[in-house]
Amino acid sequence: MRSGIRALVVGAIFLLAACGGSSGSSGGGQADSGSSYKGKELKLGAILSLTGAGAVYGPSSKNGADLAVEQINKSGGVNGATITLDTQDDASDKAQAAQAAQKLIQQGQVVGLLGPTLSNSAVAVHPLAENLRTPIVAVSTTGIHIVPDCNYPKTDPCKYVFRDSLGEEAAIPANIKALADKTHPKTGALLVAKDDKFSADGGEIVKKAAPANGIQLLGSIEFSKADADLSLPVTKAVQLKPDVIFITSLGGIPAKIMIEARKQGFTGQFLGGNGFNTAVVSKQAGDAGRGAQSASAWFTANDFKSNKEFVTAYKTKFGQAPDQFAAQGYTGVLIMADAAKRAKLSFSNVSQDRDNLRNALESVKIDSPLGPFQFTKNHDVKQTIWIIQMDGTGGFKLVQKIAG
Amino acid sequence: MAQQLLNAIFIGSIYALFAVGYTLVFGILDVLNLAHSAVFMLGAVITYSLVVIHAQPFFVAAAGGILASAVLGLVVEYAALRPLRRRQAPQISALISTIGLALIFVSIVEQSKPGSPFAWLWRDGANSVRFPADRVPNATYHVAGLTLESSKVAILVISILLMLSLGYVMRYTQVGRALRAVAENPRAARLLGIQVDRIFALTLALSSALGGLAGILFGVALSDVSPYIGRDQVELKGLAVIVLGGMGSIPGAVLGGYALGLIEAIAFIRFGSNVEAGVAFLALFLMLVVRPQGLFGARLRERL
Repeated sequence: MRSGIRALVVGAIFLLAACGGSSGSSGGGQADSGSSYKGKELKLGAILSLTGAGAVYGPSSKNGADLAVEQINKSGGVNGATITLDTQDDASDKAQAAQAAQKLIQQGQVVGLLGPTLSNSAVAVHPLAENLRTPIVAVSTTGIHIVPDCNYPKTDPCKYVFRDSLGEEAAIPANIKALADKTHPKTGALLVAKDDKFSADGGEIVKKAAPANGIQLLGSIEFSKADADLSLPVTKAVQLKPDVIFITSLGGIPAKIMIEARKQGFTGQFLGGNGFNTAVVSKQAGDAGRGAQSASAWFTANDFKSNKEFVTAYKTKFGQAPDQFAAQGYTGVLIMADAAKRAKLSFSNVSQDRDNLRNALESVKIDSPLGPFQFTKNHDVKQTIWIIQMDGTGGFKLVQKIAG
Repeated sequence: MAQQLLNAIFIGSIYALFAVGYTLVFGILDVLNLAHSAVFMLGAVITYSLVVIHAQPFFVAAAGGILASAVLGLVVEYAALRPLRRRQAPQISALISTIGLALIFVSIVEQSKPGSPFAWLWRDGANSVRFPADRVPNATYHVAGLTLESSKVAILVISILLMLSLGYVMRYTQVGRALRAVAENPRAARLLGIQVDRIFALTLALSSALGGLAGILFGVALSDVSPYIGRDQVELKGLAVIVLGGMGSIPGAVLGGYALGLIEAIAFIRFGSNVEAGVAFLALFLMLVVRPQGLFGARLRERL
């Protein structure tokens, strides 16, 4: 009995000494958790649209994320733990996206998720992740009610949902204001794909922001994202003779609209949302897209260190230039890695690890290709907005920079 | 309004050209060939591939695309229809086997892994490509405030010429008479010395060539070539068109195509895109209830 007590006391002293020692020396805490990370596997999942309408964005996000994983693992991983990223294609379909998320969370036992590509799918995936208490970082969704109210119309903030992509609610008004300040257009027409959340949200934002900047909306013309023949809605818009045509749509549609409108003799300005911000759209639009203006979360020619290195590494690995979606996908992994580093993961209790990762995500502070990166208290991104225009040959040029 | 009317006529021509092939097979073989939409898609995809990957001039490529479509029609006949006919399987089996073939065709094109035959479709990251503007002649004219694209005008002219000549062939030539005889009564035709199987194969080839051509024109005029243009854009609408015009009737399919183009345009202008999307099926439904033989199907027995 007595020896038992003695053993306990000795044990307690050793324990105290161990704790004191590690917290006393600077950086010791990290080294300690580092040793428990060593050789472990940090399982992340991504739900991206690699096929279907979102396939103009998803593959870029995937490339960006893959590049970040490769770089981190090469330079010693996350405190010694190796990141594995299981990317699932949701075929741009809401139901498939939810299925993929469920599979990754329940069978894949991932600690954190990236995605999905489209806001339309996020409506299904984010509440699911919230429910299953798994942190998820949206890397390309820009619609409204993504963060913090992922369960919209319920307004209570979602605790596990974050996003590193600039929302249309900030981007579109900034873009319209930038143009209005410069060329003072009087009239506009809106072409909006009504059956897609991202596009419909964008339309609502334009309807508010255009009049606020002195642009009278002559008409709001809805079409379906499934229409191959867009000549009917485009004709309707061109015949209103607006100074500006607003396009809120995604995939190849903005390019098709611009080509058709130019054919019909429209000479005014195109303004768009995040759907414009990929080289594929700029390339497909070609000459018809020259000058089409949007607000972007990222600009390729920014020469601060984290962006320059990203652009160079991306070009080396994939043989093509990155776009905004690649930068956001890349940043998504950096964010996860930074949070995981500080999250004191056990690698045995997944639900505890998910909670720890979620808590650590709130205090992420890194340099990224998007610029210095932090989450707001609503889990949204706070960053500089870059106003860009298509250059007619598949690229973009910077027209203005608006500090975040 | 005039411009919208033109838009309606152009898309109507594509519906018509597609539906003529559809209805031809139905009229002669009594089978709905649901692989027709996949052939439509392949016509466009193969032509695109010849232009962009194999650097052929557009007209050579288009001829290649049409020829390939005709061959695919033969594949439909020999793989999906003839074996079932030999076994005297019920009509529904043929319908289902053509659906199966359509799925196979689409998934061949869909494969994006390097090395698969159409992987280049996905090279841009987009699963829809468009013919390069400098390789495909498509001048745009502005006449009296109207925008005319040469590709769309060509669609109109080609469609009308083809449909007129098809009408001529059916009515006044030996082959046409044989086709109509088979449509009327295959057994009697066989007794009269007509090689019915050969007529069936010819029908599939002809119908698929028209379908492939419709696909090529669609791809050029609407800047959209993808594995899904058949399935998403024309399959069900084509069905609506031939019901509208009268199953198996060629003039019915032509006028049904233009009618659908117009109905859609009017629905869009008056009521917006929500109504436009449903109007084809509303027309189909009303037609089946009110006049099941279609606008031009006089009596069901007398086809083509």
